[in-house]
Amino acid sequence: MAKKILEVKQLTTKYITRQGEDVYSVDHVSLDIEEGKSLGIAGESGCGKSTLALSLMGYYFPPLHYTSGEIIVDGKNISGLDPDTVRKTVLGSDVAYIPQAAMNALNPTRKVGKFIEDVMKAHEIKMTKAEVREMAEQRFKLVGLPVEALDKYSVELSGGMRQRVVIAVSTILNPKVLIADEPSSALDVTSQKLVIKMMKDMMNMGLVKSMIFITHELPLLYNVTDDIMVMYAGQIVERGSAHDMVFDPVHPYSRGLMNSILVPEEGNRDVKLTAIPGTPPNLKHPPAGCRFAERCRYAKPACFYSVMPITEFAPGRTYRCNMSVDELREVYAREDAE
Amino acid sequence: MTKGMKKYFKKKIFWFIITFIAAVILNFILPRMMPGDPVNAIVGKSISPGATPEQVQEQIEFYKHQFGLDKNLLGQFFDFVKNAAKGTFGISYSQYPRTVSDIIGAGVWWTVALQLPAILTGWILGNLLGALAAYRRGVFDKVLMPLSLFISAIPAFGAAVILLVVFAVNLGVAPVNGAYEPGLVPGFNAKFIASVISHYQLPFWSIVLIAIGGQAVGMRSMSIYELNADYVKYSRFLGIKDGRIVRYVFRNAMLPQVTGLAMSIGTMVGGALVAETIFSYPGLGMAMYSAITQSDYPVISACTLIITLMVLIASFCLDIIYAFIDPRVKAAQFD
Amino acid sequence: MKHTLKNIFHSPRFVVGFTIFMIMLLTVLIYPYIITRDPLAGLGKQFLAPGTYVSVYDINNTGTYRVELPDAALKRMESSVPMEDRETILAFLTAKGVDVSGLDTSNDKVDDLLALWKENYDEADVKANKYEGFSTQAKRKALKRMDTRLNGDQSAAAMTVTSGEGEDAVSKTVADTDYVRVDEVANAITLPLGTDNFGRDTLTELVKATGVSLVIGLIAGTIATLLGLTVGLLAGYVGGIVDDILMFIANLFTVIPGFVLLILIYYSVGQEARGATTCAIVIGVTSWVWTARSVRSQVISLRNRDHVNLSKLSGHSLIRIVTTDILPYIASYVVMAFILQVSSGILAEAQLSLLGLGPKTTDVPTLGLMMNWAKLFGAYTSSNAWWAYFPVILVIALTSFSLNLMNTGLDQVFNPTLRD
Repeated sequence: MAKKILEVKQLTTKYITRQGEDVYSVDHVSLDIEEGKSLGIAGESGCGKSTLALSLMGYYFPPLHYTSGEIIVDGKNISGLDPDTVRKTVLGSDVAYIPQAAMNALNPTRKVGKFIEDVMKAHEIKMTKAEVREMAEQRFKLVGLPVEALDKYSVELSGGMRQRVVIAVSTILNPKVLIADEPSSALDVTSQKLVIKMMKDMMNMGLVKSMIFITHELPLLYNVTDDIMVMYAGQIVERGSAHDMVFDPVHPYSRGLMNSILVPEEGNRDVKLTAIPGTPPNLKHPPAGCRFAERCRYAKPACFYSVMPITEFAPGRTYRCNMSVDELREVYAREDAE
Repeated sequence: MTKGMKKYFKKKIFWFIITFIAAVILNFILPRMMPGDPVNAIVGKSISPGATPEQVQEQIEFYKHQFGLDKNLLGQFFDFVKNAAKGTFGISYSQYPRTVSDIIGAGVWWTVALQLPAILTGWILGNLLGALAAYRRGVFDKVLMPLSLFISAIPAFGAAVILLVVFAVNLGVAPVNGAYEPGLVPGFNAKFIASVISHYQLPFWSIVLIAIGGQAVGMRSMSIYELNADYVKYSRFLGIKDGRIVRYVFRNAMLPQVTGLAMSIGTMVGGALVAETIFSYPGLGMAMYSAITQSDYPVISACTLIITLMVLIASFCLDIIYAFIDPRVKAAQFD
Repeated sequence: MKHTLKNIFHSPRFVVGFTIFMIMLLTVLIYPYIITRDPLAGLGKQFLAPGTYVSVYDINNTGTYRVELPDAALKRMESSVPMEDRETILAFLTAKGVDVSGLDTSNDKVDDLLALWKENYDEADVKANKYEGFSTQAKRKALKRMDTRLNGDQSAAAMTVTSGEGEDAVSKTVADTDYVRVDEVANAITLPLGTDNFGRDTLTELVKATGVSLVIGLIAGTIATLLGLTVGLLAGYVGGIVDDILMFIANLFTVIPGFVLLILIYYSVGQEARGATTCAIVIGVTSWVWTARSVRSQVISLRNRDHVNLSKLSGHSLIRIVTTDILPYIASYVVMAFILQVSSGILAEAQLSLLGLGPKTTDVPTLGLMMNWAKLFGAYTSSNAWWAYFPVILVIALTSFSLNLMNTGLDQVFNPTLRD
């Protein structure tokens, strides 16, 4: 078994609203990634996946607060460290982040090259300006970006170029874990492809040791990541390999999610698309039992009050449901036959 | 210089010239549309009571010739342009035979010396306060924000009057009006300079206060907008220190504020009107005010022309400066 | 619509602004029914201080009541021996070397001070000894005058008042415990803000002026908003050459500062025509530019939205597209712009009037004109009549404060991103 590069144990974080209420958007989440692997996190908007991305950084500022749990990166527990140590030694080098809106992720009045200098300075890396420049140029060449981009302001770059520059800047310290929050959602198809290819290349070149890819576009995950994890209302509801998750989802929510989109595979031509009715629950007052029960077509009375544990039913496959896997598969098979 | 830049500047210069011409024409036509004959008024004031109708007529003809009003409108326009180009702006009606340029020349230095430092001080203090307010929000938003909203609702003249009444009339710590003690002869001596400084305080602070109010409110909302920008979050997650991020934010919030600075320098003469009239400060604003009360059109025209020209130059410079200092503007303009 | 209104009234800023504004508006509307006298009637001397004025003449014909206030004598003493006199006495005693320990100018020491004064003051003595601070002839004379004054006051125990003349004369003795009830006096008037330079009741005039200024702001704001909206819609939706021409005019208006245009246009209108309405119209005509600009940019972003294109394809007329597909989307913005225009219209009038460019009349008060009159008649300086201008400044500030609050409140409702 390969080395675990990231291990998250029972991580819980909350937002404190202006009214002083606690909203637990990441609720006892555990996950791990092996070196060289990538994990996709899927879910509807508002299910807590972006918050999970932020929480994994180990660096919290209002309104997001750390509550409990551990984040272990390459054997180092970062959840107990003080913020300034996290800033200096974790951010960018252990865990790096690619934000959702690359359009505005770069300071519009700072040239890309200058910004890279700032990043180096922030991590107290002893390098002269010329050395930083040399290193940045090499990295840009390596990942297929024009070196001239270093002398430009972000507003002078196109949307796709901006996103790729952000990726290059985020990974400049060769992070162990790269967390990408919908890095391609605002881009056109061509730019999307380039962005995805770039991230895959970086994994292959070993610049990035592992990757977490967050998106609501499932087809993207199927092609990019090794594993897929589905989140609902701040909790993980199912995890498995990308292939299993797409073709054999077990949890009713995962199944609903997969059925509501098209995976570009042969034989999918006649598949009917169905949306999941309803909306995710308000996490200010989460349901007592299964959080999905309200929208679940198979829910039984017990689902509404009994606490759902997460269980492993096959190697690398976990799910959170009252019904057994066989039971669920049987129901699904009956439905598909109809 | 790129092609886009050249095109941009060409367009700007073209606009500058067109608007300037339009402004000159407006400045010429509007005052002349007003009913009543200014010459009659001057003659009425200056002539001795026992004058015969012929003498009155003679006087009227004399003044009309002096002011060039015996020519047709086109001729008057060329005179106006010629005088403006020469910088004399013709002869004042109310202070005949002083030239307009003489009147303006006497006031302009007082105005510049009063306004320029006041505008700069107000701009700097206002921006600092606004930035601070945006950075430390908690207390500020709940208590100080409504208060400062109210204070910024006090009109400029109101603030000036309150300063005047409190400090000059009631506390007596500053002189009530003028730029120096009436009996003193302007010169480089300690007594005169001390007098100028003590007369300087109230008009200066009244302008500074107003400038602080306006700038602080603008800078605060600009900074809050920038603090919420995506690049702030991204920079944080890259491990950039808070101090450096604050520098990013305030630089970006500050750049648009340069507009406010340039514009208040451009409208300096107009801005001087209120403070100078309340404190009877002998600057250009006061000259304009007395010209208004005495219907002295050549002076009014000259003042408004100067104001227009200053605003034009200020906005033209702004366009050029921004194109170089703010990449955001650069990207938007040169496409 | 109902939902939007509910949201708006949940914004604390809007509610505070709205309440202040409504209180002012209601005052303007109701006040004339309570105080029915002409707001511009001259009541007497200029710059009477605030207070209740009771006719001295009528007091004699009003029934008296016996009231015994325990500190009546002391209060009488206080008002008859002014503070300056007490200070002078103290200074004199100190200069003469009398022991003044334990003495000061407070009310309960006045008796002691006066007793010491009687004991120690002697005109010849002062002249001979030339006490420090009282050596000049002027000072000595001032002391003598004060002595006369103090002696005169102390002998006033009872007063005789005579009304009528000759044989009809009726004398009446007034005891120091005689009081009249103010309500029974035939002529009494309360002037909470005194009188202004024309001797008018400042409060009544101020209420009237607030009304006129609000109307000016309303007219100016309506004109500016309508003009700006029309120009913005045309320039933004039609585009092309229409846009170019309209924006050229708008540019002219921005580069030539508004108040310069105001001054120039105002003069060309001529003095006779300068009433409050003209003032409002001129302000409106010179301040539409920024509304036009922002409406234009919003319309441009709306112009190519799907629903507008659909409407175009369906062959709807320009007017129908503008009113049903564009206006509803910028309505909230236009309302906010209107509020700001009203506020800046009121301010513009005040500024203009202060410079002597306001309505050329003394028949209609406006907030600006009241400031201008106060300035011309020396209320700031020589008369130091705060009541003639300070309430005016306060009303102007309150008006723009309430309007600005309403505006930011609306902004928070309509642009939720600003709500942090």
